[in-house]
Amino acid sequence: MEFNMIKYIKFKYLAAFLIAGTIFSSCKKELEAQKPQASLDAPGAFTNAASVKAGLFGVYNGLQSSNYYGLLYNTFSELGGGNLSHVGTFPTFAQVANNQILTDNVNISDMYTAIYSGINVANTIIAAIPAITDASLDKDATLAELRTLRALMYFDLVRYFGGSNDGYSKASGVGVSIKLTPTLTEADANPVARSTEAQVYTQILSDLDFAIGVGTYANKITNRAGKDVANAIKARLELYREQWVNAEALSTTVIGSTRYTLLSNTNYGDMWSAKNSTESIFELDFNTADQNSIAFYYYTTTTGGRNEISASAALNTAHEAGDVRKAINFTTVAPIAKTKKFTRVSTGDDNVILFRLAEMYLIRAEARVRQNTPIKIADGLADLNVIRTRAGLGPLVSISQADILTAILAERRVELAHEGHRWFDLRRFNLTSTLGIAQAYRALYPIPQREVLTTGGIIAQNAGYQ
Amino acid sequence: MKKLLQSLFFLMIFAGSAFSQERTVSGTVTSKEDGLPISGVSVRIKGAPGGIVTSNTGKYSLTVSSKATGIEFSFIGFLTQTITLGSSNVVNAALVGVSKSLDELVIVGYGTQKKGSLTGAQGSVSAKEIENTPILNAQQGLQGRVAGVQVTQSSGTPGGGISINIRGTSSISGSNQPLYVVDGIPINTGSYTQVAAGGQLTNSLADINPSDIESMEILKDAAASAIYGSRAANGVVLINTKRGLNQATKIGVNVYSGFQEVAKTIPTLSGPQYIQLLNEELTNRYGTGTNYNSLSGLSADPSTYPTTNWQDLIFRTAAISNYEVTARGGNEKTKFAISTSLFDQKGVVIGTDFKRYSGRLNLDNQATDKLKLTLSTSFSSSVNNRVNNDNNIYGTVSGAFLLGSHIPAYNSNGTYGRDPISSVDNPLAGAFENTFKYFSNRLLASGAAEYKIIPNLTFKTSLSLDYFTSKDRTFLSTLTNAGSGSGGSATEGQNQEINYIFDNTLNYNKVFNDAHSVNILAGFSYQESNYENILAAATGFPGNDIRRLSAGSVRTTASSGGASNALESYFARANYSYKGKYIFQASGRLDGSSRFGSENRYGFFPAISGAWRISEESFLKNVNTISDLKVRASYGIVGNQEIGNFTSLALVGGGANYLQNPGLAPSQLGNVNLSWENTAALDLGLDLGLFKNRLVLNLDVYQKKTTDLLLAKPLAAFSGFTTIQSNIGKTENKGLEVGLTGVIFDKKDFSWTSSFNISINKNKIVELSGNPYASGFASWVEVGQPLGAFRGYRVQGIFQNAAEIAAAPKQAVTSNPLTSTAPGDIRFADINGDGFITAADQEILGQGIPTFMGGFTNNFKYKNFDLSVFLQYQGGNQIFSTTRSFGEGMNSVFGQMATTLNRWTPTNTNTNVPRAVYQDPNNNRRTSDRFLEDAGFLRIKNVSLSYNFGPKVLNALRVSGIKLYAAAQNLYTFTNYSGLDPEVSTFSISNTAPGTDFLTYPQARTYTFGLNLTF
Repeated sequence: MEFNMIKYIKFKYLAAFLIAGTIFSSCKKELEAQKPQASLDAPGAFTNAASVKAGLFGVYNGLQSSNYYGLLYNTFSELGGGNLSHVGTFPTFAQVANNQILTDNVNISDMYTAIYSGINVANTIIAAIPAITDASLDKDATLAELRTLRALMYFDLVRYFGGSNDGYSKASGVGVSIKLTPTLTEADANPVARSTEAQVYTQILSDLDFAIGVGTYANKITNRAGKDVANAIKARLELYREQWVNAEALSTTVIGSTRYTLLSNTNYGDMWSAKNSTESIFELDFNTADQNSIAFYYYTTTTGGRNEISASAALNTAHEAGDVRKAINFTTVAPIAKTKKFTRVSTGDDNVILFRLAEMYLIRAEARVRQNTPIKIADGLADLNVIRTRAGLGPLVSISQADILTAILAERRVELAHEGHRWFDLRRFNLTSTLGIAQAYRALYPIPQREVLTTGGIIAQNAGYQ
Repeated sequence: MKKLLQSLFFLMIFAGSAFSQERTVSGTVTSKEDGLPISGVSVRIKGAPGGIVTSNTGKYSLTVSSKATGIEFSFIGFLTQTITLGSSNVVNAALVGVSKSLDELVIVGYGTQKKGSLTGAQGSVSAKEIENTPILNAQQGLQGRVAGVQVTQSSGTPGGGISINIRGTSSISGSNQPLYVVDGIPINTGSYTQVAAGGQLTNSLADINPSDIESMEILKDAAASAIYGSRAANGVVLINTKRGLNQATKIGVNVYSGFQEVAKTIPTLSGPQYIQLLNEELTNRYGTGTNYNSLSGLSADPSTYPTTNWQDLIFRTAAISNYEVTARGGNEKTKFAISTSLFDQKGVVIGTDFKRYSGRLNLDNQATDKLKLTLSTSFSSSVNNRVNNDNNIYGTVSGAFLLGSHIPAYNSNGTYGRDPISSVDNPLAGAFENTFKYFSNRLLASGAAEYKIIPNLTFKTSLSLDYFTSKDRTFLSTLTNAGSGSGGSATEGQNQEINYIFDNTLNYNKVFNDAHSVNILAGFSYQESNYENILAAATGFPGNDIRRLSAGSVRTTASSGGASNALESYFARANYSYKGKYIFQASGRLDGSSRFGSENRYGFFPAISGAWRISEESFLKNVNTISDLKVRASYGIVGNQEIGNFTSLALVGGGANYLQNPGLAPSQLGNVNLSWENTAALDLGLDLGLFKNRLVLNLDVYQKKTTDLLLAKPLAAFSGFTTIQSNIGKTENKGLEVGLTGVIFDKKDFSWTSSFNISINKNKIVELSGNPYASGFASWVEVGQPLGAFRGYRVQGIFQNAAEIAAAPKQAVTSNPLTSTAPGDIRFADINGDGFITAADQEILGQGIPTFMGGFTNNFKYKNFDLSVFLQYQGGNQIFSTTRSFGEGMNSVFGQMATTLNRWTPTNTNTNVPRAVYQDPNNNRRTSDRFLEDAGFLRIKNVSLSYNFGPKVLNALRVSGIKLYAAAQNLYTFTNYSGLDPEVSTFSISNTAPGTDFLTYPQARTYTFGLNLTF
């Protein structure tokens, strides 16, 4: 009996051992089953209408990055262009303010990376759309929106990293590497040499023309890219490409749509104190759950900011007497030398206006005057005076093309101050030397050093920075 | 107890009257080491069942038959002793502590082995060594005690993180921390706080009460650690807690209490001196007439400014106490150990403290002759108040240095004083107004059953749980700079991690023909850990009185996440010993981990080792001088799977939202081949015992070659990704460890034992994935250099005149004379000789990881007094003092140290401190050897003096032991380092930036007084 008992106990443990063994033979499945819970497996992530829509918002989220429109992109254009002065401590900002950017400037590297990261999100969704069978997704309209955004991002890359020392659309203009397919594996990341500026423009135009040609591509709320936004981007692009007739036609399309109206000079500041005004064509939304740190970078420490940048004295003096924009562009009550365009330091929810009607008037003014016929010059001057009048200034009376162009540049400076145009305008007018830049090559930002090193020079550095 | 005495009494009478051939033997059992009586010793007739235990005073009385040949005395921690019975009825025994014996069983991975038959390199720390020290956690107890184990307390924050590196650091991006196994449970470790308070981490090992620890075994080489496979590359620390004993219940009450203080403060400029410095800076830059008034609009007259000594205001003398009650006891069948304790520490920096409640219950039950059940449980709950610190302009320690002394602590209206031209906050504001609370709760529970299938074969199964929750609660007040912009800002986060482990082993143990000893272990294990977290934040509060999220008007963050990992393992170990002379061991473990890529799911980790105990050979056996001589060799492959849970997967992340619509975006490129980091470890060792092991020498040399390091391989950023995680890097560690322990003097009333260890480690990066890169403030990662090398410019002196500047390589390239190099500026070396000082003129300046370190313990015993002096040292490394680059940078924004009084002026030219000039156009404060200092130190880590009351007092008080002691921790540090503490490190989380000091919370000097009572 006792013997049997022992045998039984022995058997029991042996059985437990064996059962445990069986459990473990299914372990491999357990190992495969451990997955992150706030992410999806990349293969199969974008296979239905809901995830494609989420991917589309992922592209906008890329635009919001603090390395892109969330701070750096527009700020650096203003800082390098002399509308802002550097009052803080970041050496990388100082390099931009002094126009002495080093190739390892981490902010420039981050900006470059952020834009390409947004392009990769767009590429990923664009590639996924053809296989979607869900009829609730308007595939063409979604593609149009994605390609509008991709066009904007490639354009933004060229504005900083491409072109020539003396401007854009010159014969020798350099572009950036073009990638139109998603990066799914390491091999997809193999570097591709930079295209020329003209080749990148061709790609941008192909995206924009596709979008504009999609019949169901409608205008949406101000915070999303619709057909007007595609036209507005193209209008700006044609200005850079010095295709004056096209630029005039496209800006006329947007102005003539009558979907947008200029705010009056008494409520000019409402464009920023309120959001999504009638003047905005495309305004990047931020809210308390989705913040940017632009105001934080402007505001002083006692008002909760980090006091990195201020409006420059030069910007202040660029205003004519009686200009309503002066109070918006350069504050004179504490915190002084800031802007009323970015004020929400505690909530971080200042919207960033990417395209608005005033710019369309100024594009058209310039495009017309550049055509250099008396009628076009007069029409262009009229466009300029629309903006001047709205700002509380008297109309300009001049017939000299050169004078009017100078006036347009000056007008762009105060009308679009803090909005990220100044550096590019100075490049377009080949006036970067007026900033005290002795080395003409500094008109182009350096390609991030890590990109040049990582690709073994396949993605080549801009001339002068090697 | 009373009952036992009664039955003893009864037994004696009964025995005496009924069986005349029996007699009563009595005596006292003492410890040979100190001569004190030992209670609870098992006393029984040799070969007979039953037996009794000694009384509180170590006395016993036993009835023995005439057939009895001897009496056996056994007690845990001591060698079992059998005394042959003679005619005397008094048999006293003096037991020898097993630590001196090679037959002592030591705990190894998944089992125990005789110390003499170990083939691996294994260090150990016993409870005795860490008693009387006011330590908060197990890691502090290891510091300086074991050769090859570097313990760095990177911040003195109570409850703060501690880093342990066993035999150097090998991983660059993964963890270099060892695996901790508590009573067989491989626990989760690391910092769980979700809220950054500067660089400060929390320490989940602080959940284990160090006085519950019986011993810690440190498995250093592959022979010892490879049984833990993919988690063994950084070594393994086995922590074993105190268990019940076969003795009458003994109750212990241990209390200590004391105070802590900072060992050092740094002299700073007075308020007037600081204003004078600013005036000088501005004049030197803009010419006469420009002064502090031009900068701030405030008075430029130094005499109108007060002096605030911020360090006096933020440092304090702080209390520390620990209260503990323990009970241990049991019988042959069931044994138990219970403890409960409260540890309460205030920090030496205002606003910081740590409080922990903990309890433990360990149970052992011999259910049948064959079945043994064990339970080990512990629970702890702690509350930690922190302040912002470490690399943070809103910090308390940092603010005390970075805010000028010309600012009053409080304005006349009671508000906090602030510098209008600096963003540094008043250090008192952060400490008094903000909340940085961290709560953690942890349950460790392990139940095991051991069944003897046949006499030599045991099956053991155990199921263990490591349940951890933590909670962060912070509030940044509107009265601080950090919170003023947002109208008050609150963040609350909660974590939990449930880790369960199912272990099964078979153990076969047999000696054949008295010569061939075989020990075979085979097992499998499954472990799964599930992590959950939730984090929410809000801003815009109605004042600072309501600090919970529900009162915030703007909800800024609401997020949650989850992660998990699973490990499936099969392992085996065979140990064969021939007559205790030739020992061979082989082990292997197959680990399948969810962390590895799908094409590389399983890794195999083998180790082989051997030892030759020369002292057992006939030619040495009779040499009395040499009591033990053993040479060892081991080689094995071990892994590091701390590479992140989901690093191998291609992922699309959520949260890429826009317009309050959900957004998705690719977030990580996958790598199906991703695997563990692989370390091939070689160890050669020698153990020598002389004069009956009175003098013991342990010597080890090792080499660890680590390959397949997990590194972020750089990708062309135009792809949308900048990196892909790959196994590409290589590092190497080589070292030597020497441990020497000796009984220098051993007389009845006086003894002196001494223990010394030193280890030398050389670390080198062999291969990287891309270009060399910078880390931290001054650290540099480059092939051929050690991890944590420092790189920067070299100072060649100070320019005395314009001619020297003209003749020297061009320092600052500007055309404006006011912003150019001037007399008083530093001359930096033109290392590449191109005539210009550029970024290319930087070179390796030193390294942050010590090349040698160790400890030196001396224990003296005179009658009832014990004195223990423990020294700890390390050296061969440097500290980059960012504290000085700010505090001596003279950059017009930050408070300055008194050393700037020696700055260059036309009349003070013989100095190494450059001139003061606004905005420092020559960039004198760039990263250079100017701020690099020797980090070597020798620290009187612990001194304790204790007194054990003798039997007279004990009997009168009816207690079995009273010990009184006084101890000092971090009593004095001999160092050339000018900062607060040479051990601190700002980037405690980084493997690549050790040894940078930026206003880190220093370790305290602690004095404690304690009382241990045993009933």
